[in-house]
Amino acid sequence: MSMKTIGHSPAWLRLDQQKVVGIVLLVVIGVLVLGPIAVLLRSSVAPPNTMPLETLGITFGSFVAIFQHPATPTIIGNTLLYAAGSVGFGVIIATWIAWLTERTDIPGKALIRVLMFAWMAVPPLVIGFGWILLINPGNGVLNVLARELFGVQGALFTIYSFWSLIMITAFAVVPTAFVMIAGLLRNMDPQMESAGKVLGGSGFAVARRITLPLLTPGLFSIGIYMGMAVVQAFDLPLIIGLTAKIPVMSTRVFLLSVPDNGIPDYALSSAFGVVLLAIALLLMWAYFRAIRSGERFRTVTGRGFRPKPTALGPLRWPAFGTAMLYFMIMALPLLMLAWTSLFPFYRLPSMESLPLASLDNYHRVLDSALVQRALVNTVLLVVLSASLVMLLSSLVAWFSVRGGGRFGRALDVLSFAPTAVPPVVMAMAILILYIKTPLYGTVWVLIIGHLTIYIAFGTRTMTSALIQLHKELGDAALVSGASWATSLRRIILPLVWPQVANGWLWVAAHSARDLTIPLVLMTTNNVVIASVVYTMWDFPDVPGAAAVSFLLVVALLIVVVPVQLLASRASTRGGG
Amino acid sequence: MLTVRNLTKTYPARHDSAAVRALRGVSFDIADGDFFALLGPSGCGKTTMLQCIAGLEVPDSGEITMADDAVYASARGLNVPANRRQLGMVFQSYAIWPHMTVFDNVAFPLAHGAQKIGKAEIDERVRRVLDLVKLGAFADRLAPHLSGGQQQRVALARALVHEPRLLLLDEPLSNLDAKLRDAMRIELRQLVKSLGITTLFVTHDQVEAMGMSDKLALMRDGVIVQQGTPHDIYMRPETAFAADFMGRSNLIPGRVSGSDGMLSVETSIGTIRCPAPAEGLPEGILVIRPQAIRLHGPSIDGLNCFAGRVERISFLGDVVEGEVRVGAGSVKVVIDPYRLLAMNQEITVELPPERCVLVPAEGGTTT
Repeated sequence: MSMKTIGHSPAWLRLDQQKVVGIVLLVVIGVLVLGPIAVLLRSSVAPPNTMPLETLGITFGSFVAIFQHPATPTIIGNTLLYAAGSVGFGVIIATWIAWLTERTDIPGKALIRVLMFAWMAVPPLVIGFGWILLINPGNGVLNVLARELFGVQGALFTIYSFWSLIMITAFAVVPTAFVMIAGLLRNMDPQMESAGKVLGGSGFAVARRITLPLLTPGLFSIGIYMGMAVVQAFDLPLIIGLTAKIPVMSTRVFLLSVPDNGIPDYALSSAFGVVLLAIALLLMWAYFRAIRSGERFRTVTGRGFRPKPTALGPLRWPAFGTAMLYFMIMALPLLMLAWTSLFPFYRLPSMESLPLASLDNYHRVLDSALVQRALVNTVLLVVLSASLVMLLSSLVAWFSVRGGGRFGRALDVLSFAPTAVPPVVMAMAILILYIKTPLYGTVWVLIIGHLTIYIAFGTRTMTSALIQLHKELGDAALVSGASWATSLRRIILPLVWPQVANGWLWVAAHSARDLTIPLVLMTTNNVVIASVVYTMWDFPDVPGAAAVSFLLVVALLIVVVPVQLLASRASTRGGG
Repeated sequence: MLTVRNLTKTYPARHDSAAVRALRGVSFDIADGDFFALLGPSGCGKTTMLQCIAGLEVPDSGEITMADDAVYASARGLNVPANRRQLGMVFQSYAIWPHMTVFDNVAFPLAHGAQKIGKAEIDERVRRVLDLVKLGAFADRLAPHLSGGQQQRVALARALVHEPRLLLLDEPLSNLDAKLRDAMRIELRQLVKSLGITTLFVTHDQVEAMGMSDKLALMRDGVIVQQGTPHDIYMRPETAFAADFMGRSNLIPGRVSGSDGMLSVETSIGTIRCPAPAEGLPEGILVIRPQAIRLHGPSIDGLNCFAGRVERISFLGDVVEGEVRVGAGSVKVVIDPYRLLAMNQEITVELPPERCVLVPAEGGTTT
């Protein structure tokens, strides 16, 4: 063979694009993730009433103050009770509906799946506002109806109670729990249940004696995972819990760092943040323990077996009704918001009011400079956060899956670490870190926040995508003479494109609905839709807040639902 | 063409497995235009070796030279990345890119490789190589719509289109069904030899290795046990492992006596005479291929002739395998399918001395 001439490039350039990109990536992720965590730890031991980064003093006074304060046990107790209660109810509802759709011949399965995915897109903030309109003790619609129809004295329900907070959160966690439990059921070997049936068990006996016990380890780990999410949750405790005087840790951290009046106490709020972080870490450890012991119970076998669904007979439609009941409960607050947005002043739903309905509120809010600025900011925030998250995650995933070694593992661990940090704590740490920089008060600080929070999800998505991609596909490009960048651009990226798009959508939807980061880091310049809704509600401009909320929900549904429809059609076709 | 010297590679211990010494000082040479096979059981290090040559894996130490260009030399800290080694490679999974047509797959090394080539020339060269592998009519088809054999041809065309210095084949036949594999074995060798491309071929199948290669190296536990022509290694194995791996054989341990020319080996089936190997051995293993054993009627005397009784017969069609009890042991034999032998029939087995090979008792550890 004759020697071919190769294009020559300078030696330093040849010294690996790959290495250079890897080092830049490590630095970026390190700053994004370790920066806030370091600041949080530093601030928690700073003297009170100082800017934590402008002093060298170290004191554990804040921790002492927290544990001596009489309210602390209540707050921690509230947090745990809140998480346990709402996850408990949420998982029970989700398991029931998941079992119906995966294992019985209930009608309308596709409808149930799509509705569940659609609900995941609805911001909890908006649901919370809807519930306040429905069941506040004064003029909540359901309470007024109860008074008029049944002559109930006082209020039938009250939004401002621990029960309401728990139940509303429980309804809100159902869609996520449903998706996880449905996956669990789908991966379970149906032969175990078939054996039960062949040996004479009735449908319900099999469900109770075989399906449920087999599911228990999986349900347990899903429960812990959801618990982790609820402990970190911020928006519902903020809008319902504060008025109801049910402080939990996340709202405590928020009030200390962004107080309504007075000076923020960063030292105390950081110390609270560290305690909350410790609880989240404990739950995460429990979660990993649970999935590891769950592995032993794994009953996944070859695909392709589809269990024969349990015939519900005459109970089919009543069973379908129970699932629809859940969706109706979920739809009520949205309908209430839609109604409220149509009138200049809040009025009870009635036929007489209907002719007065108008779109004036929508014209008004869309004309407002604040909302316009928020719209621009939101588009910037959502598009940039989602794109940057997916770019960074794809690279991190490549290095951790293909690069191997300590370097890849370091990137993997770094990008997973934010999972344990509650967003409100992360937001506060970012606030302390960036408050003296020009980034503070711009959309960029919000983007940094969302990058840090969502990088873990993006990395999980892309890691599992790359693991499924045969290593030789990329190797073949390299051996063919293509550079590393070309192999990523021409081979790897086109092949994992669906997962990239899916991850992008997820991050975009969450970035649009997130209230934590925008609220903690809010200035007059960097308002986004979520923070505008909250401010208008607080002002109060309830009809305006309702109108903007409704627009946000519609926008999210327009983006998310068609993709889910496509995905669910593809998965039914694929037999999975 | 390719020179490999003292290559070592150890995969460090992980939390769930001990360290693996995949290569422990491997050296070999491939002459220009040769079809060379690396043969060995799974885990012997042959795939690691191939990955190191391709540049997809970095060895710990040693040297790899291609056509007088060093591509890896630990002493100088030199490691040329895979995309600058000017190689062609057919992967075990074929690694056909499913989002591209056959044409785009094959054009990739020309369009995105180190050479800068115009569109017209790319077109011309891709057509030519597709015709060569008889896939000219499939250029616009999407890769997933191809059969296994067609995918293998695409992979081959892609590996050849940029006229690589060295062609690497990683178990290219293992994903084909048995019939197609037989056909492709001959076709692949003919094609590569007609182009004169030096080829390194990795396989765990000794039939493929023998049928296709000019020379082969047998690997085990990260070292080369024996190398030479297929005929050499089959006929003159140096270890019991080599004998056993290259095909069915009788391995009969025994004590050695005598010297000069003919030795006597005391075994469970009797005293067997055989030619002396290079080094003197007090004990050893006699290697006798089942095909080497002659079968005669009962009560025949002669050198290395033993009385036996047929103990087992398996009729496989093109051959009949049998087992004959001789003395306190037994030997596997191949019987002519047209010869009718009954169970328990008394016969004589003859082990011709020139077909008996004595190897050291501990197989595989000598190099």
